[in-house]
Amino acid sequence: MKDTLTENKPVLTLSKVCKNFGGVVAADNISIEMFGGQTFGLIGPNGAGKTTLLNLITGIYSSDCGQIHLNGKNITKAPTHKRALLGIARTFQHPRLLERCDIQTNIQLGIDLANKRRRKNPQQLQSEITMLLGYAGLKNVNLSDSVEKLSYGQRKMLEIVRSLLSEPAVLLLDEPAAGLNSKEMEYIVALIKVAIEWDIAVLLIEHSMDLVMGICDQITVLNFGHQIASGTPAEIQENQAVIDAYLGGSGHAAC
Amino acid sequence: MIQRLKSLNKPLLLVAAVIAVIGSIFIPSITSSYMLRVLNITMISYLCVLSVYVLLGMCGQNSFAQAGLWGVGSYITANVMMKLGFPTLIAFAASTLGTALFAFVLGFAFFRLRQYYFTFASVGLMAILSGLFMNWKEVTGGAMGISDVPDFSIGGFIANTESSMYFVIIIVCVIVSLLMKVLFKSALGRSFMAIRDNEMAANCLGVNSLLTKSIAFAISGALCGAAGALYANLTGYLSYQSFTYQQSTMYLVMIMLGGTVSPVGAIIGTFIISLLQEWVRPLQNYMQLIYGVGIMILMIVQPEGIIGGGKALYERYVNRKQARSDIKQSL
Repeated sequence: MKDTLTENKPVLTLSKVCKNFGGVVAADNISIEMFGGQTFGLIGPNGAGKTTLLNLITGIYSSDCGQIHLNGKNITKAPTHKRALLGIARTFQHPRLLERCDIQTNIQLGIDLANKRRRKNPQQLQSEITMLLGYAGLKNVNLSDSVEKLSYGQRKMLEIVRSLLSEPAVLLLDEPAAGLNSKEMEYIVALIKVAIEWDIAVLLIEHSMDLVMGICDQITVLNFGHQIASGTPAEIQENQAVIDAYLGGSGHAAC
Repeated sequence: MIQRLKSLNKPLLLVAAVIAVIGSIFIPSITSSYMLRVLNITMISYLCVLSVYVLLGMCGQNSFAQAGLWGVGSYITANVMMKLGFPTLIAFAASTLGTALFAFVLGFAFFRLRQYYFTFASVGLMAILSGLFMNWKEVTGGAMGISDVPDFSIGGFIANTESSMYFVIIIVCVIVSLLMKVLFKSALGRSFMAIRDNEMAANCLGVNSLLTKSIAFAISGALCGAAGALYANLTGYLSYQSFTYQQSTMYLVMIMLGGTVSPVGAIIGTFIISLLQEWVRPLQNYMQLIYGVGIMILMIVQPEGIIGGGKALYERYVNRKQARSDIKQSL
């Protein structure tokens, strides 16, 4: 499917990134490599610094030390909008949509971003939108309705669709499944699979261990800003430090 | 639902547009020249209120300096025509682009401030501009003002009567309103609304806050500049007393009354307030009180203004109708 050359080159690299808030260490020398077409899990207890790390990657926070590279380009000092242009897309723990606009406008914003890099073919675009809305369970919504009419789950789905349409290199998902029912969970999985098919590097922050262990290729565990373990799902489940800090005895006790 | 709403509205809108066009053509022949002047000033105000629509309604940034920008546009036209001797069209372009550039540069400085601090800065800008208008004798004529600004003319056509000026202004207003529609549907318009609704999400979607807000301020400057140029041609006399902080506030009141959600709100708000001022002249001493109390009541009862309220009512009506027909079908 993919040639090994691109496989070996990480899309996003964090090398020894750190961030302190006053005396609190939110990220301590975090090093991560993410590859296109792979899903990278980021887990840990609440307050471990997962969302902080996302904010460091998107440039909402600036890092105190370390470097961030996207496709070999140093983006450590780049502002948020520039990183987005270069291909970093994200969703938020609580969806951030344009509340006073209709669904179409929200979707169109993602397309606008893709258009800034390269004009999209309208026909292909239309089929992509239809496909993504289908996977997201939003097939039957009226695009000219206000987003206020969407349920919480639908909002989260719409945010992921918007991000995917922006054709990112990296997609950061901040607890996409939190507060969703099992049907909506399936939509999330379907959307992540689309991202993988499109060769996007996906970073998934999630408390649902079934989802993380089922879909991730690599997992990093954070605790109090420290990277306590990294590895495949199987390795993580066996790791004593992780079990002590987060997973607990059973290895499947989510949250 | 909205699609149904649109299909229902289309012939209605067309009829309304035809009536509006025919009506606006015949207005000059049936109204007094005094009333025409009121209408002309009202339409110029509409351009300034549209500038608030772009900045506040679309981009979510509130400015108290719009009357100052309007003044900048006026004085540019007066100077370009009288001191440099250029024709009207060049003066009009200079006012529009000059004020836009002025606003863009200032916006680029001001929008480094986040949240509502831009609004504070705009209050300062208005104060500085007021001072300049009053004291910079060489350019603004100081307290004496500038008189005898030439009439609006293109080629052989000279708009030296109230009614000919009426047509010039209404054409500009229509063109600008159509451009607003284009802006609303454009990627730029969407990036304004993204900043208004959620700045952090907008940044994460590649929208540069500083640049985008500055462009919004520049567009609002262009609108005020165009309004200023027309005002200078229309009245022929510019006084620093026209371009005041109170006038800026009045534009805000107008759009608050009409509703910030669409340019139609700007039209409604501008006309109601401007014509109200004419009709209740005997109560002039109480106007400030009426505005004050009126705004407070409006904000409590209908914060989205007349347009927002109307929309909500209409949607409720359509929803109810839908619900009724659903019940009938299920029976």
